[in-house]
Amino acid sequence: MEQRRGEMWALMCFLLLNWVSNVSSLSVTVTDVECVYEYVLYEGDTVSGNFVVVDHDIFWSSDHPGIDFIVTSPGGNIIHSLKGTAGDKFEFSAQRSGMYKFCFHNAYTTPETVAFHIHIGHIPSEQDLAKDEHLNPINVKIAKLREALESVTAEQKYLKARDTLHRHTNESTRKSVIGYTVGEYILLVAASVLQVFYIRRLFSKSVAYNRV
Amino acid sequence: MPGKADVRRSVMFRSAVFLVLLCGLSNVPAGDAIWLNVPQTGTKCVSEEIQSNVVVLADYVVVSEDHGHVPSISVKVTSPYGINLHHKENVTHGQFAFTTQEAGNYLACFWSEGHYQGSGELSVNIDWKTGIAAKDWESVARKEKIEGVELELRKLEGAVEAIHENLLYLRDREAELRATSENTNARVAWFSIMSLGICIAAACLQIWYLKRYFQKKKLI
Repeated sequence: MEQRRGEMWALMCFLLLNWVSNVSSLSVTVTDVECVYEYVLYEGDTVSGNFVVVDHDIFWSSDHPGIDFIVTSPGGNIIHSLKGTAGDKFEFSAQRSGMYKFCFHNAYTTPETVAFHIHIGHIPSEQDLAKDEHLNPINVKIAKLREALESVTAEQKYLKARDTLHRHTNESTRKSVIGYTVGEYILLVAASVLQVFYIRRLFSKSVAYNRV
Repeated sequence: MPGKADVRRSVMFRSAVFLVLLCGLSNVPAGDAIWLNVPQTGTKCVSEEIQSNVVVLADYVVVSEDHGHVPSISVKVTSPYGINLHHKENVTHGQFAFTTQEAGNYLACFWSEGHYQGSGELSVNIDWKTGIAAKDWESVARKEKIEGVELELRKLEGAVEAIHENLLYLRDREAELRATSENTNARVAWFSIMSLGICIAAACLQIWYLKRYFQKKKLI
């Protein structure tokens, strides 16, 4: 009984180890360069993810270039590069295992908040099946299902981040509308009053105008 | 069925051996996470916008290149209203777990106290899990006595439920956004008409006042 429980525990741990999927969805504030590192365990894994610039506060230049995104492999090669974007999805297959570097570059001085999500998916291949007897094809199917569900979750995280960006834009528009309109009214009334005072002054100071 | 039980036991025993081999061969912590570089001066913060009633589980470890001296960092986790959820100074590893009370931006900040003499930056490994990823499947498996393929399928079911919940949440947020947009649209229309009205009113007041003034001054 003891041995059986111990083996069950081992199996549980083994399955958890195989299951643990990489889901990290965080935001980081980019002032100049911010880098995030991920370790890819197996060669051939699919690295997928997305990022959205959430705090896009530059409102006066609609053609603000956004930020640059560069992925560097453990060997130092640049695998993926996106320039001047406010958010995008990416996916590539890791050619080798090791530490991959994901960097965000901000060319402007205003800090931007970037929400990113990186996922490393591993599906047991034919070679893995051949190596381990207890990995049967159903594990491969389950892994594929899992990866499909992860891609749906990643898409949802992307949508959520985009929704946050739109909400910020909306709220800033609201505040601008109220602020600028009230300012406009005050300015209008002030201009009218100033005009009246000026005309009064013109007619009261110089008496010569009254004597034709 | 003694035959089936025997096969199962041998399968599990082989799994245990495989697990030992796997843990022995790989020196990477189970459960991938992101690595951050904490600068020697200044703080490095990560944040996430989380809804209320969500379980958050995080592990952090400081990794150093030379295995002799491991530098220490300080951690602080705050809720959207500024409540301190976790605060530790001069540690090399730790973990925190909490259930979110309010929806908002949760911030986790790391900084080094300056005790690191080496050059460069500290590497911190953060394993941040929220919601379904933070669920304790071991206890579920133990309580309901399920294992193997059934447990994996149960996890998939959990993931699908989480997707469904997320979808409903996104739909509600989109409805809120739409309401705000329409409100702003109506406001812009009203404010523009009002500004036109104020313009005309100011012009009329000016004319009336100046007419009265000139009549008083006997100019007209």
